[in-house]
Amino acid sequence: MRPALRTFLFRLAGFTILLEAMLVGAILYWPTFREHFGRLRGLVPLPVVQNLLQAVETGGLAAYLAGQHFFKGCNTLGTAAAVLFAAGAVAGEAHRGTLEIWLARPLSRRRILLERWGFGALAVVLPVFLTTLSIPWLLTYVDDRLPLRPLLLGAVHQSVFLLAFYSLTFLLSTLGRSALPIATAVLFLSIFEFAIYLVERVTHYSIFRLADIERFMRIFRTGGLETGLVTALALASLFCLGASLFAFERRVP
Amino acid sequence: MPSSERGEPRIVARGLARSFRGRPAVLPFDLDLGPGITGLLGPNGSGKSTFLRMLVGLVRPDAGQAEVAGVPVTGDGTRARRRSTYAPGEIALYGEMRGRDHLDWLLRGREREARERARTLGGELGLPLERRVRGYSHGMKRQLLFAAAMAPRVAVRILDEASEGLDPSRRSLLLELLREDAARGTAILLSSHHLAEVDRACDTFVFLDAGRKIGVEGAAARRAARALGPLAQARASAGHVVLELAEPDPRPALAALARADDLPAPRTLAYGEPSLQELYGDLYGVEPC
Repeated sequence: MRPALRTFLFRLAGFTILLEAMLVGAILYWPTFREHFGRLRGLVPLPVVQNLLQAVETGGLAAYLAGQHFFKGCNTLGTAAAVLFAAGAVAGEAHRGTLEIWLARPLSRRRILLERWGFGALAVVLPVFLTTLSIPWLLTYVDDRLPLRPLLLGAVHQSVFLLAFYSLTFLLSTLGRSALPIATAVLFLSIFEFAIYLVERVTHYSIFRLADIERFMRIFRTGGLETGLVTALALASLFCLGASLFAFERRVP
Repeated sequence: MPSSERGEPRIVARGLARSFRGRPAVLPFDLDLGPGITGLLGPNGSGKSTFLRMLVGLVRPDAGQAEVAGVPVTGDGTRARRRSTYAPGEIALYGEMRGRDHLDWLLRGREREARERARTLGGELGLPLERRVRGYSHGMKRQLLFAAAMAPRVAVRILDEASEGLDPSRRSLLLELLREDAARGTAILLSSHHLAEVDRACDTFVFLDAGRKIGVEGAAARRAARALGPLAQARASAGHVVLELAEPDPRPALAALARADDLPAPRTLAYGEPSLQELYGDLYGVEPC
């Protein structure tokens, strides 16, 4: 089996299993959560988190899953996966010294880079969809149900958000010579952004506002994507990919 | 005899130059190489690897142009790399891959038969292709890269330090394989620090120093000079070796040449002072009319 394919399958399986495990836990906890909702809300000290619980109270199961699966699971694990999968894409090869043999084959750099970007992007995006697809089936275990379409729209929104993270890290990897500083910097940035989301005064400056419960509930309610935001995020990814290609074409091994 | 004169030029460089952060690595020079083995010589930092990388499109030149196997090296050099092979000087391989799989990976984009040939060659070199590369010695890794570079049917092979780290017997085997390949009409550009092996294997030598081409010499002229000693001065000129005898009597020099078995048989013997036309031709590299 080709190494790129093996790495892809390993990442795909790893990220899917982690996301699915969190999702299973969240769904099985749903009846208990619903039953003790009032007491739980009283225990939460942060106003921003109280707002999240308020949204769940209003939105019910859909809001609970938007929070548990998308906002918590996909945003935290997904961001980490996006950063870890992208940071070593080119800088990792440069660091281990294999960039030269990678480029010395009679394959165009464009093809080499697009293959790597594509495999990594799929490893980030596919688990979001695969786990989302399992939600209706898992809900049967707690005697509840949700339509699949809004959930899939949420998965599309989440994927585009994660792809922007992935593509930014990928661009840095194309420019860098070592994966570790890139991964550390972007992970620190994402943790910082998640942290300020929880602070009432600055929460609106957090990029995770672009993929929070409110955002997903709007998608569920309207039954459609936020076209402007999705387009902007997709364009950001495309810009980063284009810049990566430009830099990679000129890169010295 | 300079290799460019033994066939169509396979490697052509015109004013190729490259600097890194304002520091020149290769200064503009021209080069035409044909079939045969050419040794690229020079001390560390003389620009050998940068020059080789420019020929296969791994490093974009700041100025000048190159042509490899009849294809201009443009963009990222993919077209030139399809018609040539390149073995890098620095060894870094994927340790987690088995030798056989690594050969396949290195030969991605080549014809299917190249993989079979690479495995056969790897076997002949004694490589344990079923083992993971992380267990390979430095020399084994070098031979794996060599096997991958020798397997495709191409007109040009560019080998950077191909024999570095090999024991003498392996080096001899490698040189033998290179000679066989060159005899089939392949142009091989080989950079090396092993002067003795380059001396044995190469038809032409290109000398670099601080990014400058400081000389191109044919092996025949050098071997003739060695055989003749003080009897004559030998120099390569327009596809042949010219001897300038120290004494008017040519017989001692002819006897010395007859004893030198590593020289090609003479095709023409001309004796006497060179004409002005011949002198002009020698100096300016044009055929006397």
